[in-house]
Amino acid sequence: MKRSSKIKTGILIAITAVLLVFSLFPLFYMVIQSLMPWDQVDKSMVLSHPTMKSYQYLLGSGNSSDAFMWVRSLLNSLIVSVPTAVVSVLVGLCVGYSVTKLHFRGKKIIYESLLFQMFFPGVILLVPRYILIKPLANHYLGMILPLCISTWAIFMYINYFTTLPNELFEAAKIDGLGEFGIILKIAMPMTKSVTTIVFLSMFMARWNELMWDMLVAPDIKMQTLNVLISTQFRTMGNFPGPMYAASVLLTLPIIIMFLCASKHFKEGISFMLK
Amino acid sequence: MAERTNSKKHYRDNFTGWLLNIPYLAYTAVFFLIPLVWAVWLSTMDWNLMSPDRTFVGIRNFTGMFANPKIIAAFFNSFRYLAPIVVLCFLFGLLLALLISNLPDRIKGVTAVLFFIPYLTSGVATSVVIRFFFSYNSAFNHFLRERFDKDISWFQNPTSAFWIIIAIIVWKMSGYYALFLLSAIESIEPEVNEAAAIDGCVGFRRLVYITLPMILPTITTVIVLASGLAFGIYTEPYLLTGGGPNNATTTWLLEIYNTSFTNFRSGEGAAMAIANAVQIFVTIQLFTFVMNKLNRKFGV
Repeated sequence: MKRSSKIKTGILIAITAVLLVFSLFPLFYMVIQSLMPWDQVDKSMVLSHPTMKSYQYLLGSGNSSDAFMWVRSLLNSLIVSVPTAVVSVLVGLCVGYSVTKLHFRGKKIIYESLLFQMFFPGVILLVPRYILIKPLANHYLGMILPLCISTWAIFMYINYFTTLPNELFEAAKIDGLGEFGIILKIAMPMTKSVTTIVFLSMFMARWNELMWDMLVAPDIKMQTLNVLISTQFRTMGNFPGPMYAASVLLTLPIIIMFLCASKHFKEGISFMLK
Repeated sequence: MAERTNSKKHYRDNFTGWLLNIPYLAYTAVFFLIPLVWAVWLSTMDWNLMSPDRTFVGIRNFTGMFANPKIIAAFFNSFRYLAPIVVLCFLFGLLLALLISNLPDRIKGVTAVLFFIPYLTSGVATSVVIRFFFSYNSAFNHFLRERFDKDISWFQNPTSAFWIIIAIIVWKMSGYYALFLLSAIESIEPEVNEAAAIDGCVGFRRLVYITLPMILPTITTVIVLASGLAFGIYTEPYLLTGGGPNNATTTWLLEIYNTSFTNFRSGEGAAMAIANAVQIFVTIQLFTFVMNKLNRKFGV
């Protein structure tokens, strides 16, 4: 490598590093403040005496009225997010496979309806959907059902399946595999990278959902972590420490999930961007 | 073509095809078609979500919007949010993408993923951090007071409150859009750049004459995505400013939520949602139209 290009690379890396510091600073700040002694939260940026007090508070020891409030909300977030991600993967697989690889009357209509929904401003549906789902208020089903199918996820599968050769599926059929066998044994393994992306993205979207969960599950026993933080936000203004800790609990799982899967979704990401 | 000769074969999967689509179709009927019709009907009603009596008011829910300063503010704020968000998201996204594409291959992937992390954070978590970071007693404000004798109440000032929300969103989204632009830049054939280099087209000139025209379709995608996003702002103003001060940061979603579910005027809320949807539709169409024109003129 020539010297001048080495210097150029060095400068680029330096600029990147500075931008990265800015980009990740809010998250560092959040973690540091969540470990801060309570009398110093927000008043200092240097963590000299890290303490787990904020986390202990969340786990129940300092919170007498409803000791399991925060743990429960974390569980609620999981209970709502996992099925949403699973269902959107399954439906995406089925619709994506059938629309691209099967021949049946009306598949054009299904495809058009997908396009239409995808570009339709969802805000119109908010009020009537709420009225519709009201009987299921404060119930997991009411939180999960309206958001568990995503046209975006379906399109990810449609686009991926069109890149797979038809012969592959024809051959499987000749070998005597039924449609469901094909989905299980061929389509599912071949779409692993898309599945990783769809699962993670839908999980994240559901985990971070605010408005719908606030509407459908106002009962504190049903609130997700995201909602609980935002309802406690104002009253807990004098206890910033636990709020930071709760935010860490809200953010960290998603980041860890994405980082762990980053190997698998590299292929998927580069596909998604095509 | 072999299939064409056997027309029966064409629709051989009627049963499985529909079977696999049952969940999707059921969902579409229940959570899309019914609410859609309902929304139109609701927008002509005066109803508080609970009482058995509802009154038909025709288009009064729509005409009433013009007299409501909050709705007028939401309408104009959409554009006030849109412009800086689209421009800044695009510029920062492009900057990051260009930077990363010039890094050594070994650290490209890692860097892209690290810049992507802000995209994963919930608006609630960032709002917590931002609110406390800018609170009166925070180290940051303390520093400003001690050092520069500046006492700013960040969320009481319409300008600073507005730009804090913009900053949050640009911070969150830039790394995500950078991924799109990065993959477009990486897919430019090396021969193109080599040929350009022989003609003396390097550095900034290469960016303007080669890179940008080649990735124009992706730029279109990013701009349409970012403008769609700008119309969906809700969490940050809800938690940080409540739409204030003086409606400076309010958005359609915030007003629709408050009208429908805090003030229980669901008919009005439905009408507002339709007005908002029309605004979104027209704006996005306009953007797509302009970008297509640009594509035809400068694209490759």
